[in-house]
Amino acid sequence: MSTLPPATGDVGAPTSPRRRLGPRPGWLTPSALAVALLFAAPLVYLLVRAAIDHEVAVTAVGSGVLAPLRRTVLLATLVSTGAAILGTGSAWLVTRTDLPGRRVWRILLPLPLVIPSFLGAFALIAAFAPGGLVEDVLGVRNLPQVRGITGSVLVLTLLTYPYVYLPVAARLNQLPPSLEEAARLFGRRPTEVFREIVLPQLKSSILAGTLLVFLYTVSEFGAVQLLRYDTFTRVIFTAFKTDKTTALALSLDLGLLALLVVVLERLSAKAPRTSGDRTLRGLEVRLGRWRAAATAAIGSLTLFALAAPVGVLLFWAGRGLLRGSDRTSALSSDLGSLLIPALNTAQMSVLAAVVATIGVLPIAYLTVRRRSRASHVANALVVAGFALPGLAIALALVVLTLGAGPLSAYYQTPTLLVFAYAIHFGAQALRAGEVAVASVPGRLDDAARALGAGRVRRFVTVELPLMTPGLLAGAGLVLLSTMKELPATLLLAPPGFETLATRIWNATNEAFLADASIAGLLLIALSGVLTWFLVIRRSAAL
Amino acid sequence: MTTASRPRPAALLAMVALLAILASACTGSSSELTIYSGRSQNLIGPLLDDFAEETGIDIAVKYADSAELALLLAEEGEASRADVFIAQNPGATAFVGDEGLLAELPTSLLDRVESGFRSPSGRWIGLSGRQRVLVYNEDLVSEDELPASIDEVVEAPYAGRVAIAPQNGSFQDFVSAMVIERGEDAARRWLQALADADAPTYANNNAIVEAVSRGEIEMGLVNHYYNERFLAEDPSLPSRNHSFPQEDLGNLVITSSVSIIGTSDQPEDAQRFVEFLLSEEAQRYFSDETFEYPLAAGVEPSTDLPALDDAPYPHVDFDELGSTLELTTRLITEAGLT
Repeated sequence: MSTLPPATGDVGAPTSPRRRLGPRPGWLTPSALAVALLFAAPLVYLLVRAAIDHEVAVTAVGSGVLAPLRRTVLLATLVSTGAAILGTGSAWLVTRTDLPGRRVWRILLPLPLVIPSFLGAFALIAAFAPGGLVEDVLGVRNLPQVRGITGSVLVLTLLTYPYVYLPVAARLNQLPPSLEEAARLFGRRPTEVFREIVLPQLKSSILAGTLLVFLYTVSEFGAVQLLRYDTFTRVIFTAFKTDKTTALALSLDLGLLALLVVVLERLSAKAPRTSGDRTLRGLEVRLGRWRAAATAAIGSLTLFALAAPVGVLLFWAGRGLLRGSDRTSALSSDLGSLLIPALNTAQMSVLAAVVATIGVLPIAYLTVRRRSRASHVANALVVAGFALPGLAIALALVVLTLGAGPLSAYYQTPTLLVFAYAIHFGAQALRAGEVAVASVPGRLDDAARALGAGRVRRFVTVELPLMTPGLLAGAGLVLLSTMKELPATLLLAPPGFETLATRIWNATNEAFLADASIAGLLLIALSGVLTWFLVIRRSAAL
Repeated sequence: MTTASRPRPAALLAMVALLAILASACTGSSSELTIYSGRSQNLIGPLLDDFAEETGIDIAVKYADSAELALLLAEEGEASRADVFIAQNPGATAFVGDEGLLAELPTSLLDRVESGFRSPSGRWIGLSGRQRVLVYNEDLVSEDELPASIDEVVEAPYAGRVAIAPQNGSFQDFVSAMVIERGEDAARRWLQALADADAPTYANNNAIVEAVSRGEIEMGLVNHYYNERFLAEDPSLPSRNHSFPQEDLGNLVITSSVSIIGTSDQPEDAQRFVEFLLSEEAQRYFSDETFEYPLAAGVEPSTDLPALDDAPYPHVDFDELGSTLELTTRLITEAGLT
């Protein structure tokens, strides 16, 4: 994906951001590095442990890591390729064509991101395993084997494509239609326009989203555990229970793998391009005879990624509610007990999204406006946090807060939890943030400066409104990821603090299918509502 | 487009205000009894609420996997704010005990439970028991062709037909018991035989019972209560529990347990809590609601369950489980079971 020809997107923005005049804000690099250091806390903790404990360092480079590492990289490569194709294709269809029901698809398409991967895997097994729902209800026999790498790739691709869909759709909404219109006027077919004009301009967004999918898959645990594909994280979680040395060493390896991937991506990618006027409505491609096929494609994507898991949950929830239960703890008799967990989930995820989005903004500015060694370092450190398993991040924060005098007052508080979410998922906000910063044409800022507007005023009245769609897309990703986060939540939340994800975990852990499904459905509904109000409705045409 | 291009200072202000509230809300009340529970909320939550209501003692519960909580307690060390640790399996408790983080319990409490189900060093008390069983699908296997011992499970004609959950805490505790009782080599041979026969493996007990009940596999090694719960949700399922006729490691009874953390700042409340869990009311709850065997003297198990003595079980020193666990997981991994 890095070998595409240079994007032609500059045409819409005659002034490249890197050639901008004006003083370089002296505080930008220090503040970006300071933020990056906060993000790097868990990785630094792992490095220090490896430096102190010789055994950790030896295990980290031992031969035992090769097989699971190979499986992890294979899985992540397949999943990110699949997600890139699904995410880009669906984003183009709902923003650039006359696909029927676009408004509905735009709400539905990001939602699979909120389905916890272990629920997705659970539903897949329940549906497709021998004797499962599909065989039982539909009478279909000899279904394909869904365990191992096949099932893992399937589940993770279907649940992660929104990482690509969201930034690409946001970008498509910002692209000036003039180029596409010109190409059409010169007689290019829609597919040629897509390949030659649209795709190059989307490159940075696709790459940003695909990187997130890759790193997410690397740190994923819930689905591979249930589908029994022996990746790095699975080995780490097993090791944490008995052999902390190995677990720490392997976590460090994952962090280093993420750094490597980010460095490769940085070397290959150019800074996101600026775009020109966004006031024009994007060009609408008439699908014509492809309309039915395109609708079927989007429909089946939504069917498998969203409707199928939700359907399985509805089936279990319905069965539980109809039959009732004589267990005193059954949710079906006490739905009100989900109110507090739902509010906690909403509050934590919104706060984490805000903190992460604002927190990474200096780094996004630095990366786009002043590409330097510092910006690469800051960028890589933030992104590496995403690849570390949640359990490793949680344990690092336990040691760092309890070991550091005054910070210990924050141990197991909502504040620490929000911080953990922000550093775990900040990478998601960073990539979207970079695209957002890049969407501010330099000449606008120059013009505002020439008219005498101060830095704050320029930021609030010129840059922020232009960046809003991109920032919201990034915040949306953090929001959805936070809502379903489990390992760090279980360890770092204050005792007695429940979220929907912990409720679901509690119920699935002991196979209370009805309880798990009811809480799961509420989580999906809540994320749908939150993304609608906070993200989709506000990010303009998205 | 119009909504996006208006700056929203009010929204920003609201967010900053929210953050300020959050930052100030970080001091927890210290009068609460902090419970780390490796038993999930669905299993024990209502009982804990009853305790708070009856005694007026405020509680705050952190639910997570027993092994993860053990790890957390070890990282927290002396700084831990936890008062009580409820563990699903003895391995996790023994791990925390070996770190020297558990208080010694008074004999008045220890004596409430039979000696096989409490710590010899007084660091934990068993709350409820669950038995290892062989779950089978009665449509696929008839009762008289079931294996008669845990050793037959890995021999012809059963080899490869019995599923296991190699990463499950209870399965690992069972293998640890085998290491303690028969030695490392015997355990290695048994595991190797399973692996050679290509025994189906699953992520956890639930998955095995589900697979057995829908006919994907014939048999599996699990804890007894999973199938009881499945049958409670859907009585028409063809899955049944089977215990081995003679005293057998495959009939091992594993305990959930409660301990008091050494650094607890309210040990009296913690003791009242332990006492409550051993009361008839609580023990009856385990029996009736979670289909487990009550362990405190004088409380009879639910009549729906087979009597514990029907399936003779071996007595194992659970305190040794903690230090054996690392060897056990290595043996399981080396056998190629994942």
